Amino acid sequence: MLAMNNITKVFRTETVETHALKQFSLTVNEGDFVAVTGPSGSGKTTFLNIAGLLESFDDGEYTLDGRSVKNLNDKQLSQLRNEKIGFIFQSFNLIPDLNLFDNVDVPLRYRKLSKAERKERIEHSLDVVGLANRMRHLPSQLSGGQQQRVAIARALAGNPLFLLADEPTGNLDSKMADSVMSLLEEINQSGTTIVMVTHDLSQAERAHRHIQVLDGQVTEQKRVAPELSTVNA
Amino acid sequence: MSQIGPIFRALMRNKVGALLIALQVAVTMTIIVNAIHLINARGDLMGRSSGLDEANQFYVTSVGYANDFDAPYVIDTDLGGIRQLPSVDDAVQINAIPMSNGGWSMGLQTKAGEGENSVPTALYMTDEHGLNTLDVELIAGENFKATEISYRDRNTRDWPQSVILTEALAKSLFPDLSPTEIVGQTVYIQSNEPLTIIGIMDHLQAPWTGWTTVNHSMLVPNKFDSPYSRYLVRAKPGQREQAIEQVEQFMKQREVGRMVRETETMTQVRMDSYRGDSALQAILWTIIVVLCIITALGIVGLVSFSINRRRRQIGTRRALGAQKADIMSYFLTENVMITSVGVILGIAGSIALNMWLVSSFNLPRLSYIYLPIAMIAMWTIGLFAVWGPALRAAQISPAIATRNV
Repeated sequence: MLAMNNITKVFRTETVETHALKQFSLTVNEGDFVAVTGPSGSGKTTFLNIAGLLESFDDGEYTLDGRSVKNLNDKQLSQLRNEKIGFIFQSFNLIPDLNLFDNVDVPLRYRKLSKAERKERIEHSLDVVGLANRMRHLPSQLSGGQQQRVAIARALAGNPLFLLADEPTGNLDSKMADSVMSLLEEINQSGTTIVMVTHDLSQAERAHRHIQVLDGQVTEQKRVAPELSTVNA
Repeated sequence: MSQIGPIFRALMRNKVGALLIALQVAVTMTIIVNAIHLINARGDLMGRSSGLDEANQFYVTSVGYANDFDAPYVIDTDLGGIRQLPSVDDAVQINAIPMSNGGWSMGLQTKAGEGENSVPTALYMTDEHGLNTLDVELIAGENFKATEISYRDRNTRDWPQSVILTEALAKSLFPDLSPTEIVGQTVYIQSNEPLTIIGIMDHLQAPWTGWTTVNHSMLVPNKFDSPYSRYLVRAKPGQREQAIEQVEQFMKQREVGRMVRETETMTQVRMDSYRGDSALQAILWTIIVVLCIITALGIVGLVSFSINRRRRQIGTRRALGAQKADIMSYFLTENVMITSVGVILGIAGSIALNMWLVSSFNLPRLSYIYLPIAMIAMWTIGLFAVWGPALRAAQISPAIATRNV
């Protein structure tokens, strides 16, 4: 489903070259729940950006749902992001001026779905995260945990190929973090693939597989649950 | 893709910036609509026909200085000679030049006696060459005869017996009669002096272009016995410059104790007469252009600020699947919605300002055709102003969504 092979990413300034990813390889299969950990500057955010088609890479091959993304243009990448990937951000990234319904509606509008279908998907996904009764509230009227649930609902509403979570519990207290992790586990158990970048090892242990990244390379993999994914470091 | 609903709801929660732009658009539109209205009203004034053959006419001034200066002799021999020049069609001595803002005005009334209503009119003294030199047409009656022409000076109190009126003046005096029926009627000047109307001419403006009765003019069969004399000359078509040269040369070579001064074409007279109006038009156009630039810059500034404030939000939208065109479309749609509010306020403001101008300064009422034109102009300015910032917004990388600082 997601296959990265020898991906290289170098950030260049006038005086410095930073090798963010070096020969990075990873395969994620359908239904998997992969946690990626590593210290600051290890390259895990670069991996997340490339996996989420938010950033280009210099070398290597990245195949998403059987399609190479290397030579796609901006419009094609936007469509792929919209249809295949559900994003969950550390800071939730909800739009503060829109209520929960409109926030979840944002990616669906870019897919040009009918109004009725959008409404059905929004209501269903907010129901899944337990916020169906608050869909006319603004993000500022919710707790951090609830806001992250809305972000999860927004990611789920598009029925993506996989969820890409960037430190989903990083801005939450332990109780709320546990609640969000439980929700992600439930979502994964219902068949949705999840790739989660985190610095929290205890959260990483709850995934099927735990990948450690250091200096832009996969240094260790630990299988915690059923054999669903493979690593080629 | 329609984004109107979410944009509207987002604007409702963040009104201040949008309201500032809408108010700026409204004020600009209010001023622009009324400024263009004033410009066009001035243009209509400036475009009015004087009734003359302006392209081929000019006047020249003669000032006698000799102690034995014989004005009637000089005037008659001047006119006789000028009319013989090859490039001249006709010439006449005249006491006032149309559109020059200097002349004589009198009052005419249909009944003799003090206290009767009188109609104001400009008075031109000409001989039987007046109609042809001025290039006005008789629509009823007849021209002066050479035998009717008499000299008058500053102290003359009597008036000749015949007069030719413009149709506008005749209609003001006799609203129920046709031009043919008006010929032969008597009007009174200086309350009790009778004048017989012998002709009605189509159109001739008074010297004062700002006068409310600018189309009221009359010709009387007089020449003016004065050392100071103005000749209006009509050149043959297309030969004005030659005629000026020939007339000046002819007059200057005559040794009759006078100076030849101030030759001016009627084209120049018109320009001088409407110089103030032209200046007002230029000032108003400048105001319009400056206001449009200020409004556009205001929109650029506020939209740029708004985009900088929403960089992360834009990156998030891009991460969630928005294409660059979607981001462009979002800000263009948002601007059209804000501008539309400004335009609606601007329509109300334009009408209100015009009502005030009409009541305070007796200006003409606003033509509503300006409103849709101004609306389109405001939307165009808005889109033009927001295009650059929106384009920059569309370039924001989706990767900004994952940055936490």
